Amino acid sequence: MPKKISAMDIYKLLPKANCKKCGYPSCMAFAAKLLEKEATLDQCPILDTPKFKKNKEKILELISPPVKEVWFGNDERKAVMGGDEVMYRYQLSFFNPTPIGIDISDELSEEEIKNRAKEIENFVFERTGEKLKLDFIVIRNASGNAEKFKKAIEIVEKETKMPICIASLNPEVIKEALKVVKSKPMVYAATKETLNDFIKVIKELKKEKDVVLVLSSNNVKDLKNMAAKCLANGIEDLVLEPHTYPENIAETLDLNVMIRRSAIEREDKYLGFPILNLPINAYYYALKNDCPISGFFEDKEVVAKMFEATIAATLLNRYADALIMHGMDIWELMPVLTLRQCIYTDPRKPQAVEPGLYPIGNPDENSPVILTTNFSLTFYTVTGDFEKDNVTCWLLVMDTGGKAVDVSVAGGQYCGENAKKLIEETGIAEKVNHRIIILPALAASTRGDIEDKTGWTCVIGTRDSSQVGEFLRKNWDRILKEWKEKNKIN
Amino acid sequence: MIYNDKLGEVMDLNALIKIIEKIGKVEIENITITADELIINIPSAPPIVIPQTPSIKEKLADEGIIEIKDVPELDWEPPIEKYKNSIREVQFGKPKSEGGRGVVVKIGGQRALYRFEEPQPNPPVVTFDIFDIPMPGLPKPIRQFFQDVMEDPCEWARKCVKEFGADMITIHHISTDPKIKDKSPKEAAKLMEDLLQAVDVPFVIGGSGNPQKDPLVLEACAEVTEGDRCLLASANLELDYKKIVDAAMKYDHNVLAWSIMDPNMARDLNRKLIEAGLDPNRIVMDPTTCALGYGIEFSINAMTRLRLNGLKGDKLVNMPMSSGTTNANGAREAWMNNPEWGPREYRLPLWEITTGITMMMCGVDLFMMLNPIAVRTLKEIGKTLTTKPGEVKLNTNNYDWIVAKA
Repeated sequence: MPKKISAMDIYKLLPKANCKKCGYPSCMAFAAKLLEKEATLDQCPILDTPKFKKNKEKILELISPPVKEVWFGNDERKAVMGGDEVMYRYQLSFFNPTPIGIDISDELSEEEIKNRAKEIENFVFERTGEKLKLDFIVIRNASGNAEKFKKAIEIVEKETKMPICIASLNPEVIKEALKVVKSKPMVYAATKETLNDFIKVIKELKKEKDVVLVLSSNNVKDLKNMAAKCLANGIEDLVLEPHTYPENIAETLDLNVMIRRSAIEREDKYLGFPILNLPINAYYYALKNDCPISGFFEDKEVVAKMFEATIAATLLNRYADALIMHGMDIWELMPVLTLRQCIYTDPRKPQAVEPGLYPIGNPDENSPVILTTNFSLTFYTVTGDFEKDNVTCWLLVMDTGGKAVDVSVAGGQYCGENAKKLIEETGIAEKVNHRIIILPALAASTRGDIEDKTGWTCVIGTRDSSQVGEFLRKNWDRILKEWKEKNKIN
Repeated sequence: MIYNDKLGEVMDLNALIKIIEKIGKVEIENITITADELIINIPSAPPIVIPQTPSIKEKLADEGIIEIKDVPELDWEPPIEKYKNSIREVQFGKPKSEGGRGVVVKIGGQRALYRFEEPQPNPPVVTFDIFDIPMPGLPKPIRQFFQDVMEDPCEWARKCVKEFGADMITIHHISTDPKIKDKSPKEAAKLMEDLLQAVDVPFVIGGSGNPQKDPLVLEACAEVTEGDRCLLASANLELDYKKIVDAAMKYDHNVLAWSIMDPNMARDLNRKLIEAGLDPNRIVMDPTTCALGYGIEFSINAMTRLRLNGLKGDKLVNMPMSSGTTNANGAREAWMNNPEWGPREYRLPLWEITTGITMMMCGVDLFMMLNPIAVRTLKEIGKTLTTKPGEVKLNTNNYDWIVAKA
């Protein structure tokens, strides 16, 4: 079981001077904020004095997550991995959404390298108001030639601000490459056989604190001992790569689980490092071998990319803290990025937007009024649909505590009382010359209650927000006209 | 007053200044300063560097010899957990010797979470969705697979088993919905009889979603499929679940217990079903699968908690689980024609695959699916979960990607 520490445990190790230099009113307050991950140890200058050096180290150990947070990159962009405390997201939350890196072979032409690098940097898929992007570039030494490798690295670092991973199994090549790398790179990778050479290279260049070293082995005991050796030699930013087997992904899944459990439940600090997996292996595997998707599409590239996305999704569900992929098509990355977004949503935070009045398009006094909930997913889906379909309306977003329409109807938050309050607070009555509210079909059962409490007329709309545009085009003018006639208004 | 010891006389300032102008400097000894207040400014000097013998390490470094610290070998044991309880095993279909049509499918039975702890006895199972009317509104990339058989549920079922690898078939009696065709329970039962003749795989029997009609439809279908151990879909708190429980116990079937993303609700439903007379070994739980991007993380939490609590000892939730993976197809990212998102022929199967794989990683045993591509993918990955560590020969090279042709 993961250790439980209290603010008191931290407070005991603080200077207790209550000098407020950290920005908090007291050492106890600082201790509490440290625990919640809202403050950092560097904020206390007294902890840097020789007298408190040991205490600072002790506090660090207490509050450090069992899976170390490791970053690589530069001042402008960092890829951050790890930082997790729990085995299952329902226990707390998962932290640091898995960075995804795309490969660039150093055998491509300079122009191709530049274009691919920029493409990776500029890739974006937007959903629910969030821009989902790629996180790092992997330059791989396909040529075997150190000069080509260096050139490719230089181009990528010149043309983009992306964090980079340099990939070669040859420590001599890595040594040459490290001489030209400007940022803090992730170095892929040392194996059991080459570990001593990699450590030597890093120490020669005095880069122990300036690289993230990937340790690669399918034997967990070996990984543990490799990590211990690195730590003893001052290399502390490590990533574990347990081999990705597209022909039997269960092997990789087991290795991920065993490493993670050792870190979190057995408190094994030598395995407390982020895990890197390689869906890119699935891509190259499917180009030459049968996979479940073979036969459904003529294009082998398409098959390979779909298999790669499938393996990436599987690994994302099992503790992958970083992924290296090859395909960049939007259709391949959409499900992977969406899954990542979902898994790393903080379960503790209600997913809600500010309730209130949102004008869509350029509504005027004759425009329809539509009532929806403040659940983020509902809100972004509805506004996205309306914008796409050129819907013009006044969107009333009701506070249902972040619950969707059907759930809040069942739970009672979507009701007349709340609607009345919303109408008053937003002053919508002054913005339109009618008193008609359109309800989503899922809220049809609340019609009577809302009409009673607000005095407005309710019209039942469509089941899905994507159908609203057509519904309004066909019906709104007629609805408005009939209402005005009925209420004797011109 | 200044005393000039060279000349042996006292000098005044003007004489002193004349000497300084001539020679440029003068040395004054034995100075007595009387002052009320003295301010002394000591200019900061650069830190004093004491030359040291370079440490042995750096010397070695200069000579190219880096000292690498060795560490004693550390031990490591695979973190295998022991669980209090196991998941109940549920059987569908009966062997011919017991009067069934021959094909038996089992789900559940796990004694641990992972195959490295204990062998997983039953691979995940796929049940293919078919409908008793040609489903309108199915996106073309899926419809193309069975466009030719949608008019005839029996042909449809045959194709799913023969061509798409369905382990079971889910028949949705949509036409019994009063708003659609309002077909009677008797008519639904007739279709069941035909289907039993068409294929020999076990069935999941689904209503139309109408809470008043469904229990009657399920009851009628349960009767004509007596002894076949079908899955009656579903019992939930919105309808007369007692009727479904009775049908299951009388005609030897299993029941799908459907709740909405809350492990406590699932537990409560199970308790009520058992109180109403249902054998707990006939329950399969469906905590609801939300499509990828539309709440799937809630499903992840619900499934994970139910599976963990079941293994830890809660006998009210240690049942196998089911996922309505077909729900993935409702996501706009899956079906919408949008050139910015690339071809939907690729998005559609990937959405169902990703949703299903996520549920599989949470321990789900039974998958209700619609896309043949997703079906084959989930089945093959599901099979790997039941292999034993080391059983499958691994022959890919983990590092080929570094040198692969671009």
